[in-house]
Amino acid sequence: MTNADNKSIIVAIDVDKIYPNGCHALKKVSLTVEKGEVVVIIGPSGSGKSTFLRTLNQLETISSGSIVVDGFDLNSKHTNINRVREKVGMVFQSFNLFPHKTALGNVMLSPRKVLKKPEQQAEEEGRELLYKVGLADRMDNFPSHLSGGQQQRVAIARALAMMPDIMLFDEPTSALDPEMVGEVLDVMKTLAADGMTMVVVTHEMGFAREVADRVVFMEEGELVFEEQPDRFFSSSNSRLQRFLGQVL
Amino acid sequence: MQTQHNQLFWKAVFILIMLCLGVGIYVSSKAIDYTWRWERIPQYLISIEPLEIRAPFDGSVSQVDEKRHRITLDSDYGDDPFVVENFDDLHVSEGDIVFEGDIIARQEHWNLGPLSWGLIMTLKISAVSLVFAMIIGLFVGLARLSSNPALRYLSVTYIELIRGTPLLVQIFIFYFFIGTVLDLDRFTAGVAALAVFTGAYIAEIVRSGIQSINPGQMEAARSLGMNYVQAMIYVILPQAFKRTLPPLAGQFINLIKDSSLVSVISITDLTKAGREVVSSTFAPFEVWFAVALLYLVLTGALSWAIQKLEKRLAASD
Ligand SMILES: Nc1ncnc2c1ncn2[C@@H]1O[C@H](COP(=O)(O)OP(=O)(O)OP(=O)(O)O)[C@@H](O)[C@H]1O
Ligand SMILES: [Mg+2]
Repeated sequence: MTNADNKSIIVAIDVDKIYPNGCHALKKVSLTVEKGEVVVIIGPSGSGKSTFLRTLNQLETISSGSIVVDGFDLNSKHTNINRVREKVGMVFQSFNLFPHKTALGNVMLSPRKVLKKPEQQAEEEGRELLYKVGLADRMDNFPSHLSGGQQQRVAIARALAMMPDIMLFDEPTSALDPEMVGEVLDVMKTLAADGMTMVVVTHEMGFAREVADRVVFMEEGELVFEEQPDRFFSSSNSRLQRFLGQVL
Repeated sequence: MQTQHNQLFWKAVFILIMLCLGVGIYVSSKAIDYTWRWERIPQYLISIEPLEIRAPFDGSVSQVDEKRHRITLDSDYGDDPFVVENFDDLHVSEGDIVFEGDIIARQEHWNLGPLSWGLIMTLKISAVSLVFAMIIGLFVGLARLSSNPALRYLSVTYIELIRGTPLLVQIFIFYFFIGTVLDLDRFTAGVAALAVFTGAYIAEIVRSGIQSINPGQMEAARSLGMNYVQAMIYVILPQAFKRTLPPLAGQFINLIKDSSLVSVISITDLTKAGREVVSSTFAPFEVWFAVALLYLVLTGALSWAIQKLEKRLAASD
């Protein structure tokens, strides 16, 4: 490892991603995330935010560069990506709950099958997590019988059930009706307060201001600018100014 | 109200048309001078046959136990006593002297007729083929979606070969060529042909079922640490199975009907049994209607079972 001390839990260096169709989605993106840090990524549509987030648990492979996550070198042939993913939870814009399982069933599945936890323990922990995200009375509902906000909270609980060291969020509130955004952001704030390392792609500037330790601005596949929230939003960077002018 | 009347009217029309069809069949059979002999059919399904039990040696009836339907016959020459149980008619009483060959009792034997045996064979061959067809279909369907070109091309070749040739020809090839090379008996050859044939269609159903599942499901499963196989087994296939149940049901029903073709390699399934019964009864109309009805019972029961299953799986909708 190069410039990373033992507190850096994500170290991405000069990451390039070229999709098979030739789209150059990431251009020399470097980012270091410390343990317990909350990093928010913002940027216009198509700037490569999702792509970058997805390289961190190798849902996308990278074309060049290096990524070390939780001590695992993703480029190494000896890294079992499934072990990395156990430690890196991911929450999607479209929830992606398993529709054939109840809320509790969604949360329990991976602890049961991947971590081989006993049924009873997985269920107890699952109930506790669902209780924490405010779904104590919805455990046995199927996803189709839950609101968007409830589904996203189940998805967060499902990722937390693997006891990850890092949580990745890809626009977790973008598919929600406005009145449900708050309940999901509240869960995320609690999580941040508990010291979880989080990388969050979002358009919620309020969340970035309030919760983030650092905000990152991406544009056209490049990481343009990163700074602490107060300095970030008062920055005079012209590309950032242009973007913030459009969204705020 | 208006629509309800309309409904009733069209239901009446339906019944009328069905009646006309029935009458039509009856009248046309009259026109060709056909005498219906439905009474001949049941015995080919099941028959009661009296079985005569004769004394195996000279001796005497030593014991009659009416309650337990059991008699004991002692031999004059020191053979082991002969015991008859479960008889329906008794022709001797205690103490009687009998000679070898005398009828001592009668039993009523329920015999399954050839049509019933044919039905059982059809059921057996369909069920065994179905199990193998599902296994073949699952693996070929997965191979079809694999990123490995060898697997992909192999599965495409198999599917195209099988779907491009008639089942009848495949059965002949399996029986005469593969069956001879590998020394397969008729039943195995028939099952192999049916399973390989149906497997190709199931593979396509499996493929389209898996492809119809949102890729986000696979991503969610993988991002939770599941490997590809776990994600398939616990997340993708259960959803795909539910979605493909209607086309699978159709394929299962086709399999039952297609199984009638194995009669060409002298497997006595329902169709072959029908042909044999026709040649001994000279009642072709009745026999073929009866055979059709038996197939309908099988396919109908299957449809019904799958509909039940669909209802149960719909719980998560
Ligand atoms: N699977 C893919 N194949 C080819 N090109 C892709 C693929 N996924 C994304 N891209 C392209 O890569 C670029 C970055 O996309 P990405 O989804 O990372 O953007 P984003 O910043 O997340 O945008 P949004 O805010 O709309 O989600 C875009 O130009 C997009 O068209
Ligand atoms: Mg995106």
